[in-house]
Amino acid sequence: MRIDRIRLIVQAFCFVFLIYGGILGFSIGNAVPTMACIYAEDRGGACFLYPFQRFMSLPLSTLIGATILPFLIYLGTFFLWGLVFGKAFCGWICPLGFLQDLLTRARQFLGIDGARFRWASRERFQWVKYALLALLILIPMGIGNSLGGLPKLSGDWAVPFCQICPGKPLLPLFSGDTSHLLIDFSSPVKLALTSLLMFLTGVFLIGGFVKRRWFCLYCPMAALLSLFDRIGFVGLKKKGEACTRCGNCYRACPMEIREIADERDRKHMVTQDCILCMRCVEVCPENKALSATLLGFPVFSASAAGFLKRQGCAPPLPIEDFPHDSNSN
Amino acid sequence: MIQIQTDRDEKQAKRLSLHLAMSVREIFDRLALEQNRPEAMAPFDTLFKKFAEAPDEILPSRPVKKVGLYCVTVPEELVYAAGALPVRLCAGSTDAAEAGEALFPDVSCPLVKAAVGFTRTGALGFYRGCDLVVIPATCDWKVKLGDLLSRHVPVLMLNVPKHKTTETARLFWYDEIRRLCRALEKLTKTRITRGRLRASISLIHEAQAEFRRFQELRADDLCLISGRDAVEVANAWFYMDAASWTGHVRCLNEELAKRKQRGLGVMPKSAPRVLLTGSPVIFPNWKIPVLIEDSGGALVCDELCSSGRLLWDMASIDEPLYDDMFDALADRSLMPCTCPVFTDATDRRVKLLRMIRDYRVEGVVHHVLKGCHPYDMELRPLEAELAAAGVSQLKIETDYSPEDTEPLRTRIEAFIETLKGRRLKMGGAL
Repeated sequence: MRIDRIRLIVQAFCFVFLIYGGILGFSIGNAVPTMACIYAEDRGGACFLYPFQRFMSLPLSTLIGATILPFLIYLGTFFLWGLVFGKAFCGWICPLGFLQDLLTRARQFLGIDGARFRWASRERFQWVKYALLALLILIPMGIGNSLGGLPKLSGDWAVPFCQICPGKPLLPLFSGDTSHLLIDFSSPVKLALTSLLMFLTGVFLIGGFVKRRWFCLYCPMAALLSLFDRIGFVGLKKKGEACTRCGNCYRACPMEIREIADERDRKHMVTQDCILCMRCVEVCPENKALSATLLGFPVFSASAAGFLKRQGCAPPLPIEDFPHDSNSN
Repeated sequence: MIQIQTDRDEKQAKRLSLHLAMSVREIFDRLALEQNRPEAMAPFDTLFKKFAEAPDEILPSRPVKKVGLYCVTVPEELVYAAGALPVRLCAGSTDAAEAGEALFPDVSCPLVKAAVGFTRTGALGFYRGCDLVVIPATCDWKVKLGDLLSRHVPVLMLNVPKHKTTETARLFWYDEIRRLCRALEKLTKTRITRGRLRASISLIHEAQAEFRRFQELRADDLCLISGRDAVEVANAWFYMDAASWTGHVRCLNEELAKRKQRGLGVMPKSAPRVLLTGSPVIFPNWKIPVLIEDSGGALVCDELCSSGRLLWDMASIDEPLYDDMFDALADRSLMPCTCPVFTDATDRRVKLLRMIRDYRVEGVVHHVLKGCHPYDMELRPLEAELAAAGVSQLKIETDYSPEDTEPLRTRIEAFIETLKGRRLKMGGAL
């Protein structure tokens, strides 16, 4: 079976679990590094960022005093999740990623061609996720502390990232909750944040339809998970000497990562935007040029035979054991 | 005056047909004496014998538009999608090269001379009979070829970006492929739809699957097929319909697989394994493969745009949509192409080193056609890099004419002997 079909099934399962798991009493905690929205009533687990922003908004003395132990346990849980699954959260688990993939499928079903970034535009936006990450740490800190002698921010700024994350209005919709689809006029800050949220939600839906995984480029969670790109259990390796630089992987990459095709001397291919969807491995026609690895061992490698099979062409005899003996000479 | 011109042309055409037929017969008289050839080579022999006996029957007789192509950088999928038949026109006849010589400087590419020779004289009907000839502007010779041919046939030139790693190059090439698509649509009055594109990509995928299997069989220790026969199989792709070629190669692969089980090779195991790279080897100029194997070398693989590279790189359909499939075809025909007209030579070096390892190659023969400047230019740094990797090499500079056969034979024999000696020194068995 094609990996992207398996992935869709896994995504659907995770989506149902993360949105409805709570009905059956399941929960995998509040430190899950994926956009499983805290506002979804029946959730089976919740996004790391909400409690994280809450922790950050505590006065610094409390954070490193009374709450240091819960905070460290909480960070440790996040670290374990990240270490084991890493960016696989983005490609295989994230509900917002799944929604974007569904939009892409809908577009493909309608036969509408997708859009791609120009190289320069894509590079121009890469700082956004780091800026969002910095803001979602600094703004909450400004609520509990007076940063650099500035006056403290009002409580309206609480959990600022969640206030503008398209998951907030969209994911609760699946449990029938429409209460976050609103523009809040109760204070100027809230008015600004909710207006921005409604705008971004629209952009999310339109952009996700037009371009694959378009919002993932700006996700601060991806910036956080990038910590595990080199040390995570799941990896993506490239064997440069087998690569012809045909560009199939780059064209198929939903994140349009150019390094995957162009860089031959690099072995670890999990880059800052990689979502470990393994689409590149699927469309690579060169034997063992790309491999998905688990703890360093290849679990799924590119092969000419596999490529042809997935492209709908079944060779009458297997051609996968070529080269026969790559270590001789 | 015009009358005299035509008379002379006619005479030249007759002479060319006669000489071509003679050299084709010579090749097949020799082949007839050979034993132990796979029986499944018969359809390919039949095809090439027609060059002498029935030049009008070389192409399939289907009543479709014929589109002549030069180089490997034109995706044949598009031609099939438009409902036409692609014919690769790159030519290998020394007699045709002579017939085209008058229009060229002293040292110039025999392939292009031969193509002009065939087109000018009309000795092979399909050179003039094509409804459109597509020429990518790759090397300098191909750049000027269009002008020479456009007096006889409608020509479409494609702009090929030479520094292909930039974004502008890729986007530019995507547009060129779409321009080709529109020209083909206009020619056949058939719209290239998503379904047609997909079907034609599948058609080529099937051929590529057999081709990869064929290459894999060639990598076997036994030397299941001679390098010359492999070149013949690849050259047949130029003129055959994709589906029938795939069928014939499938039969051949099955026969080779059986021979593998029986342990039946065409070369003794003592034959040093040779890789041929450089300028194309096209029927009837099989001089170099024949010389290598006559001298006792086993030609196990080649990195030539006329055979080993011909069907290797495969287009991947990511989304079965219009844009993606066009880009896939554009990418597959440009990005992995290791032709030396492109600025970056690392792809070719990496590919050669990989082939040397995969096919357990002992010696590399660089084939440079006189006048083929890109390969010549790339040769020195490449030779140095391969030498640093411990690869034995021989450089051959030649053209299509059989005049230098004997001196070449001496050099190639000496090279093969060196390789044998090297194997002994390394502790291998002969």
